[in-house]
Amino acid sequence: MKKGSDMNQHEKTREQMPLATAGALDANEERELSAHLAECSDCSAEFEQWRELGAGLRRMPTPQAPIAMMERVRASLMAQVMARAEQRSNRNMIAWLVLFGWTTTLATWPILRLISHGAEAWLNVSFVHTYHILIGFTVLSWLAAAAAAGVLGARHRSERRLA
Amino acid sequence: MAVDTEAVRLHRGDPQAMVSLLERYQHRLYRFLVRMVHEPATAEDLFQQTWLRVAENAKRFDPSRGFEPWLFSIARNLTMDYFRRVRPESLDEPLPSGDSRAELLPAVQMSAVEILMREQRTNRLAQAMSELGPIYCEVLTLRFEEEMKLEEIAEVLSIPLPTVKTRLRRALEAMRVKLEKRLPGGELPGWGQQ
Repeated sequence: MKKGSDMNQHEKTREQMPLATAGALDANEERELSAHLAECSDCSAEFEQWRELGAGLRRMPTPQAPIAMMERVRASLMAQVMARAEQRSNRNMIAWLVLFGWTTTLATWPILRLISHGAEAWLNVSFVHTYHILIGFTVLSWLAAAAAAGVLGARHRSERRLA
Repeated sequence: MAVDTEAVRLHRGDPQAMVSLLERYQHRLYRFLVRMVHEPATAEDLFQQTWLRVAENAKRFDPSRGFEPWLFSIARNLTMDYFRRVRPESLDEPLPSGDSRAELLPAVQMSAVEILMREQRTNRLAQAMSELGPIYCEVLTLRFEEEMKLEEIAEVLSIPLPTVKTRLRRALEAMRVKLEKRLPGGELPGWGQQ
C-alpha cells in the first residue's frame, strides 16, 4: 500500500514539474513538491533538468527589431496620425463654413432691409419678391462659402507641400 | 496596477506617446512575432500591422487594464489571422482526435533567423521552439521571455486561467520531448546554460 502511495506521489510530482518550472503552482502545491523533492533524489534530479529548461527559455537571445523596419513603422504611424489630423481639420472647416453660410444667409436680408429702407420704396421692392430675393441671397452666400472653402483648402495643401 | 502615463496619453490621442511606446516595445514585440511565425519578413509585416491597429483603436483602449496585454493580444490576433490565411483550415476547429489544429501545425521551413541562431549555443532551444505549434509557442514566449503573469497571459490569449496552465504544461513537455530527440542519448544536462 505504501509502495502504491509512493508511486502516486512520484506521478503527481512529475505532473507538477512543468508547472513549477513555469511558476504556475499555488503555494500548497509548491510546498508539496518541495517536500517530495527533498526526500526523492530521482525526482530531484529530474526537476533539475526542468529548471534548466526554464532557465534556458528565459535566456533565449532576443532578435532585435531591424532599424529599417522601425523607420518604416514610425513613418507609417506618423502618416496615419497626420491623415487623421487632416480629416479632423477638414471636418471642422466644413462645420464652420456651414455655420458661416447660414449666418450670412439669415443676417444679410434683415441688414439689407434696414439699410435700404428709404430706397425700397424707390425701387418698389414688394414682399411678393421677398422669397426670390431670399433664394438669391442664399445662393450667393453659399457660393461665397464654397469659394472660401476652395481658397482655404488650396492654402492648406500648399502649406503641407512646403512642410 | 500602476497606470502607464504614456498609455493614458495614447488614449488621449497624443502621437508622441505612440512613438514612445513603439520604442519601448520594439524588441519585445518583434521577438514575440518572430517566435510565432519564424519568418522575419512576416514578423515585420505583422509588427507594422500591430502598430497601425494600435493607432486606429487608441481611443477604445482602456488605460486602466494595461497597455502590454492589449498590445500583445492585438499582435496575437493578427498572427492567428495570418495563420488562417496561409493555412485555410480553421485553427480553432478541433481535429477528430479532439486536439487543436494549431497545436499540431508542422514545423516551419528553415529561415535566416533560425540559421543564425543555430550558430549559437541556444540553437537547440530556438529550434525546438520553432517546431512547436503556435499555441504552445505563444504561451512559452509570453511566460518565459515576456515574463507575463498567468492572468495577463489569459487576457492576451482570451482563455481561462486553467487553460493557460494546461497549455504551459503541455508546451514544456513538448519542448522537452523535442530536445531529448535532438540530443545524443536523449539527455538534457547543461543545455540550458550559456
